[in-house]
Amino acid sequence: MTEREMLLKKIGTCKFAVTDIDLFLDTHPGDKATLQKRAEYLEQLKPLVKEYEEKYGPLTKADDVNTWSWVKDPWPWDTEG
Amino acid sequence: MFVYEKQLQYPVRIKNPNPALAKIIITQYGGPDGELGASLRYLSQRFSMPMPELKATLTDVGTEELNHLEMIGAIVYQLTRNLSEEEIKKAGFDAYFVDHTTGIYPASASGVPFNATAIASKGDPITDLHENLAAEQKARSTYDNILRFCDDPDVIDPIRFLRAREVVHYQRFGENLRLLTDRLDSKNYYAFNPSFDTQCFKKK
Repeated sequence: MTEREMLLKKIGTCKFAVTDIDLFLDTHPGDKATLQKRAEYLEQLKPLVKEYEEKYGPLTKADDVNTWSWVKDPWPWDTEG
Repeated sequence: MFVYEKQLQYPVRIKNPNPALAKIIITQYGGPDGELGASLRYLSQRFSMPMPELKATLTDVGTEELNHLEMIGAIVYQLTRNLSEEEIKKAGFDAYFVDHTTGIYPASASGVPFNATAIASKGDPITDLHENLAAEQKARSTYDNILRFCDDPDVIDPIRFLRAREVVHYQRFGENLRLLTDRLDSKNYYAFNPSFDTQCFKKK
């Protein structure tokens, strides 16, 4: 696994935690402790995304500011084995 | 409104091509219990849901299914990279190949193109939520069947992830059904459509 892929995996892990919590909160919207946990994962995510985007390019178009590096390879399905 | 994130929900990284496996896994792309049907089912059903929790669940699960559709596409794509004509023929992938080469096309394992009958949307939340509970179990069974034919850890890993998500979605839809029935006059569960006959809700 390359350094880029390892960082992406860390980001994916945090994002997935948030996604799973989101589904739980949809049916338990009053659960304050889970909402707090969600905020913690989002905090963990911020520096990881910042580091990734500085090194390897944007993860969403909204974050693409200088050059249009959005088009650059690799796309998510391009991972080599 | 949707925003694309340039990342799979769970990594797919397959070293060895295996067109025979691609031929069965494509069913979770465009087959009767696949991710295309799942995403469009939930994203369509949500419009007529009578409670905010249900609208939220269907929006979020439907969106997650789009991630899963992308993962299945990536798995099939990576299983069919760098193939020779001989390998294609030997694996029985030639029937798919003549129609789509190695493009990703929504079809079932038996080659039937995607059919919108996979997207049940009845406009009755009790009916639709029962549909969804069954749909999650059908997808789970399909992943279990796929796992019977997988001996490559690179494929087993993401398929197990997808299987586990079906179980979580089943849980959430069960909670949706409970949230809904808790709001209904218990004498009338199946005598009314809660999206249409609003008098079936309990007086607050």
